[in-house]
Amino acid sequence: MRAVLLIAVASALGLSCTDPDDPARDSRAQWERAQKAWERGEAGAYGLWKDMDTDTSIGREAHRRLAQADPFYREGVELLREGDPDARLALARGVELAPMDPSLYLPLARACRDQGLSLRAAEYYTKFLTAFPEGRRADEARVELRRLDPQLAGVFESRTVLPRAPAAPGRSPWLLVLVGVLLGGVLTLTGQTVARFFRTRGVSLEKLVEGSPEFHPAIAYLVGSLRHELLKHRIGAAADAIRNTADEERLAFLRKRLYGGQPLVEAWEAHLLAFERALGHRVDLHRDRSFRRAGRAIRRIARLEEGIAGGSPRALRELARSHTTLMELDRQLADLIGALIRTLVDATLLEEVAHEVRSEHSAGAVELETLAIEAPDERVVLDVFRVDLVLILKNILRNAILAVGEDPAPRHVRLDAVLELEPTGEETVRIRVHDSSSKELDPEILFDRRVDRGLGLVAAAVHRYGGTIDVEPAEAPFEKRVVIAFFRTFDGDDV
Amino acid sequence: MSASAWSSETGIIPLVSRPALLVIEDGHEYEEFAQAFLGERYEVRAAHSAEEALAALEVQMPEALLVDLRFERAAVSDLIGDIDGTARRRFAGDTHRAIRHLKEQQGTLVLGALRDAGCDAPAVFVHDFPPRRLANLRRLYGKVRAVPAFDARAIAAAFEEPEQ
Repeated sequence: MRAVLLIAVASALGLSCTDPDDPARDSRAQWERAQKAWERGEAGAYGLWKDMDTDTSIGREAHRRLAQADPFYREGVELLREGDPDARLALARGVELAPMDPSLYLPLARACRDQGLSLRAAEYYTKFLTAFPEGRRADEARVELRRLDPQLAGVFESRTVLPRAPAAPGRSPWLLVLVGVLLGGVLTLTGQTVARFFRTRGVSLEKLVEGSPEFHPAIAYLVGSLRHELLKHRIGAAADAIRNTADEERLAFLRKRLYGGQPLVEAWEAHLLAFERALGHRVDLHRDRSFRRAGRAIRRIARLEEGIAGGSPRALRELARSHTTLMELDRQLADLIGALIRTLVDATLLEEVAHEVRSEHSAGAVELETLAIEAPDERVVLDVFRVDLVLILKNILRNAILAVGEDPAPRHVRLDAVLELEPTGEETVRIRVHDSSSKELDPEILFDRRVDRGLGLVAAAVHRYGGTIDVEPAEAPFEKRVVIAFFRTFDGDDV
Repeated sequence: MSASAWSSETGIIPLVSRPALLVIEDGHEYEEFAQAFLGERYEVRAAHSAEEALAALEVQMPEALLVDLRFERAAVSDLIGDIDGTARRRFAGDTHRAIRHLKEQQGTLVLGALRDAGCDAPAVFVHDFPPRRLANLRRLYGKVRAVPAFDARAIAAAFEEPEQ
């Protein structure tokens, strides 16, 4: 959206400034080049952004976005190095804003290598060596890439000496044998490469959703953007103009909506690229029949510009067919996202948590006056995997029981869930663990990642699902409560 | 001031008396759509932030509101909603996420501000809200309707829809 904003700013400037010598025109052209380079994933994109003149409003915005993106990329690399699943989110935030500083390709390659993501690592080593072919770090990168992929490393050797072609000694049969052996070797290697390509090719979006819950938030965001920005605002908005009589006004509306601004095919490709950037090679949208059909529909619409401008009935019929295909994809995506994760927060869940914790040796040994459990009165669903929610709650409840165990009786613990209505019409589900322990629980401890203390790992899990964790005072006989909060999921069954 | 109040006060009878429709969005798509497909029925005006929408009430109280939910192109300074409070309460202090959330839900907050300012015109969102969310919005802001896609007939019908 920021890109759209910048383009909008650029367009607005274009309307207001008509002087051909206006320096703003240069900055607009420069910006368009920089933006295109980034969209195409070119290694030089960062340099083009960096070269934007800060004396212009576009240049200042580009620099602001670079500065804003940089900490996210650095955090993403650091988290990836630690094996933290939040890395993807941090990197995705950077990708939303601006290109990555190429000097980060090397630490990113190393982080990928350390996490066993060899293909990704090789890709980033390659990018780094393309950007920085000389110097100590380049030498290190070459050595590391050679260990990872000797063949690929050969391409980046600083002093590659091509073997001298042998002098023709006449037609030796041995030479033919040698050529045959070499040809066979090349064919075998090519076959292996193709086989590896097919093995490592991504799966369809639907399969990725099924098999990789850790990507659900990213997938939901990407699909949401595609649906909102392209399928709804540009394609969906054309429904009335398609359905009604093709008068001048409606044709003008169609032309503007479908062919104004970023070209449709480019916008479609940019969304697909966003999926690839955020999810890597895990997903291959070409494996989705609906995406393939939608891609064809987008290209068909792009070709219809002239026919639609002239009000050709054939072009309008073709547009209506393509529109139906794209709206079908929109419905499928809505269904896919709607069913990603659903956990019912009810008495069964809360009792299971309490039962499991009380079955543990140390937490089970603490004598409690009360362990109250209160579920919401109505059906409440969260977009969190049940297994993860149970794990999160068990950790918090265990902490509470062990803490009250250090105090003399009476010892009280309570586990409940309440709903809060937000001014946006959304609802927050607050699952609370109250305890009567006098031991203070500093909010800092909530984010301490050391395993022997704190709830840092729990906090990380809560954040992964877009939730928050906090500690707050509680009413007597309790001293405090740890609260995890998530937005309530409206799954259609609750009115 | 409504169109009828304005005409009785000034003595000038408008040639075409159409109810005022205030479109509230961060861009111009809704406005273009409304001009093209609802323009015959409504006098379309547009506001691009809560501040502009509140100022529009001063000029003329609208009879209908067409509200965009997401204001992703809006500048942070144009947003309403408590960024720090939202960050602290819902996003573990992450203001970046809080701003994103406020942008994604800005339309509902602008509607809340209009209701506080005394505007009770029916409001239509082009969004497929889950039934519970829509019920909540009605609890909070009265006459709220939602249509799942840009469909002029459905939007016009939603404005006429009797109160739930």
